[in-house]
Amino acid sequence: MRDLKHLIYFENLLQQADNELIEKAKSEGKLCVAFTCENLPEPLMNLDNTFSIRLFAPNTGTTDIASYYMTNLLCETSRALLERAVEGGFNFADCLIAPDGCTMMNRCAENIELLHAMDKGNDKFFYENMEIPFKSDENGVELLVLQCQNHILKPLHETYGVDISDDAIRKAVAEHNRVCELIRAIGEYRKAEKPRITGYEFSVLTLASYVCPKYLIIDKLEETLAELKTRKPDEKPWRARILLVGSEVSDTAFIKLIEDAGAFVCCDRFCFGSFPGREPIAINDDEDALTQVCRHYTYACQCARMMNMEKFYGRKQYVADLAKEYNADGILYQQIKFCDPWAYERLTGSTMLHEDYGYPVLSIDRPYNINSSAGQTRTRVQAFVESIEIKRIKGGAN
Amino acid sequence: MDIIKNPRKRDGEQQLGVLYDGGKVRRRREWRGFKDTFFDYTRWLYLVSVLGKFIMNPYNVKGFFRYRWMANYLGVMHGMDKFTIGLRDEALRITHYSFNYVIADVTQSIVNCFRGDRRIRNDEEFSKHCVLTDENAMTAQMMGFKAEEARAILREVPTMFAANIFNQNSVIHYIDVAQQYGIPGDVCPMPESEAGISIDDDFCVLGSCAVQVNTTCDGSMMGNGLIAKRLEREYGIPTFQLTAPLRHREEDVQKYAAEDMKKAIAFIEEHTGAKWDWDTYFQRAKNVNDCTRKRMAQLDINATPYPQFFGAAFSLYNDTNYMGNCGRDPYFVKLDKKLLKLAEKGYREKRMYAREYRHRCIVWGVQPQYIIDMLYWMLQCWGVVPLTDMLSMVNTRMIAEEDTPENREQAYYDMAWLNENMIMRNRTHGGYEVLVDELWEFCEQMNADMVMMWEHMSCKALDGMHGQFEEQARERGIHLVWVCHDLCDPRVYSRQAIRDQFNSYMRTVMREEPLDPTIEVLPDENAW
Amino acid sequence: MSKLKKIPLMLLGAGGAFFVVTFTIYFFNLDMKLTSKLEPFFLKHYDTMPRKQYV
Repeated sequence: MRDLKHLIYFENLLQQADNELIEKAKSEGKLCVAFTCENLPEPLMNLDNTFSIRLFAPNTGTTDIASYYMTNLLCETSRALLERAVEGGFNFADCLIAPDGCTMMNRCAENIELLHAMDKGNDKFFYENMEIPFKSDENGVELLVLQCQNHILKPLHETYGVDISDDAIRKAVAEHNRVCELIRAIGEYRKAEKPRITGYEFSVLTLASYVCPKYLIIDKLEETLAELKTRKPDEKPWRARILLVGSEVSDTAFIKLIEDAGAFVCCDRFCFGSFPGREPIAINDDEDALTQVCRHYTYACQCARMMNMEKFYGRKQYVADLAKEYNADGILYQQIKFCDPWAYERLTGSTMLHEDYGYPVLSIDRPYNINSSAGQTRTRVQAFVESIEIKRIKGGAN
Repeated sequence: MDIIKNPRKRDGEQQLGVLYDGGKVRRRREWRGFKDTFFDYTRWLYLVSVLGKFIMNPYNVKGFFRYRWMANYLGVMHGMDKFTIGLRDEALRITHYSFNYVIADVTQSIVNCFRGDRRIRNDEEFSKHCVLTDENAMTAQMMGFKAEEARAILREVPTMFAANIFNQNSVIHYIDVAQQYGIPGDVCPMPESEAGISIDDDFCVLGSCAVQVNTTCDGSMMGNGLIAKRLEREYGIPTFQLTAPLRHREEDVQKYAAEDMKKAIAFIEEHTGAKWDWDTYFQRAKNVNDCTRKRMAQLDINATPYPQFFGAAFSLYNDTNYMGNCGRDPYFVKLDKKLLKLAEKGYREKRMYAREYRHRCIVWGVQPQYIIDMLYWMLQCWGVVPLTDMLSMVNTRMIAEEDTPENREQAYYDMAWLNENMIMRNRTHGGYEVLVDELWEFCEQMNADMVMMWEHMSCKALDGMHGQFEEQARERGIHLVWVCHDLCDPRVYSRQAIRDQFNSYMRTVMREEPLDPTIEVLPDENAW
Repeated sequence: MSKLKKIPLMLLGAGGAFFVVTFTIYFFNLDMKLTSKLEPFFLKHYDTMPRKQYV
């Protein structure tokens, strides 16, 4: 296929956390709200003159300092973020909001706070830790509302005078939804047998929507969507279509590696992905916007930490539904090494998607930066693709 | 700190290495002088009678042949011996009375499990009033139910937790099963082995429902899903997931926890037909407060130069009484009183349990001390007194115990508070303040000059603060001894590998010689 | 000696024998030495049991 017009531009934005769009937004007098977890309501961090940036640490090499503070037994994401923070790579932020989504990210945020790794030269900088629900129910909604009030809205208002009114939230939701609709519309092109966008290209665009000020990428996303309408797909079909599921993936090289091995990543169900992260938030005028936003995040959440059994079974059903909708031949469950929640979810998910739903499943763990273990992962994916092909030849579903 | 020398010579055995010969069990039991040996012998007889009574029941024999974990109970007496090494006088008595009751309590748990178990006795009437509860969780939600209407069955306690006290290899098989199915080897072996037990179909199957809690950690919470799936789908036992917020010191999470507690209680009522009884609840709330007061009194004594109730027995007793019991068994009130009386007597008589006390040590971190006799060994080998441990530093707040309309609402908050403050997770979660900052406060309160830091290599909550501990201990001039382990998987860190870390700190950093060199290296690799 | 008078002596003897036997078992750890020999047989038994492993 011909290259997407803005692909290199977006790829360049992802080369470092402190990208040119963040600098641009800051130069316009905007405030950067850094956060660490998909379970935080993004629109609440994009109010008034604020913009949200989800922290990631591209091109991570060693994590020596972070490993001293947190040992080498914590997940590499948490260590990569701490390392980058200590190196000064996140000094663009005006605050850090971190929920206790998982233990390791919590410890990462706490170390950043104790080491004052992000607040140098900014007297107003604040750190907030907050509780998020463990179950999708109205009690959880109520908790999330209170937590967002106490740990996002109040500190932003009291420290920086940010407008946290209902109108401001509705405006932020509208902007958020615009980005979501664009990403989802672009993602629709992955459904075709001969897709007009690769999984890698899509992951670049989606990741950019988390780590760049949203309002500064909308025009490029719109252009990309328009471009896709007439983009000519490759004639040669992919050897297999794979749904990628699991813990956070902020390394687009991982998707590229899978596709280089012959498997088209037709859908993404992971943290930093478009499902469920780029699902538009439906809000009405009957209830305050904050509650509705929090309800959306409480129920749409597909994080492994949600412990009620409706969610436990629901997560697998969600994956099966996506696999069906996006015509996946197989499912790849991945977890970042040392991640506890996904260690278990990977087992139950890969087992149930195979046994209950009949999909071929590959289950792997991986490093934060795939280049440190590219050979092993490529071999696993290649073998998986071959196994799908062989099964296809034999005519069996599994 | 100044070294305190014991003016009394210890009766009986002076060098304890003589008891070890590299086998599965010890060469012989310890000679403690006539009086204490006779006392130890009578407690042995008592345990023989408890176990004898157990094995006389044919259903228990049937259970013995059905469940792999039962084989670990062949080593009960060995486990008891582990925790009385070198002890005399009051400490010996305290350890025996507390630990013996824990053993009796676990025995009763197994009897209850087998009674309701569909594969063993299958007493359906009994089973339908049973509620399966997590091992690593408070049983606060059961405080208002009469036992005959809704009985908490902590089936993971005899299966996994207690079995590990008596045999260091007790869960290896289950870890292997879990890993064979794809759980990685880097997660905590405790929930991993519980998952393995479920996969291996080695849990008793009974009860009308189950209540799981997101304690202790991410691994524990995630293992629950797998266990619940089998319970629900294969055995038709519905499960409820009770949430305990992580930021448990924050006011703005308490309502969330209390509301979920109400739902858990309603769930139990629905599935067992039991009715919540406020008289029962408030009586048990009194018991909980009594337990809290007694534990604090024991800690007060341990803050003096003459600690009396310490070591793994202190920790295990607190686990059982505070968490597993949570006010439901009135005998603990009597036992608490008896133990405190003994401790006060020991304190008055300035009893010491080693030739000299060189260091006062707080034991912190996630501990494998039930598997190894480490704390007693530290005392006997190096004169390091274990004053308290992280798992014993739990709730100190009194809960409402008078039955008033306001207190009935407060009760849900209290139960939720207890649930949030179960052992271990009240320190490993809730922010660095409860794990790191408060440790230094305890060091000051208890005049400790040393911290023995159990670094459980798979416990991410603890490992995540490694550097902070290191730097802050240095700033405060506290000796911080890192002792790494992998909890219940001795293949990763053997007992001697654990002791070696302590030995090398004492020799190279402290430049000290052991009090009893015969136990510096112990051939107990193959021991239960 | 009458039978009645022998009873205390018999009780004392039985008690003494009980003490000697049980104390010997206790002190030389014979109980644990015995059960440690039983363990391999039990483990072999558990290994050969059919089980339904299930995630």
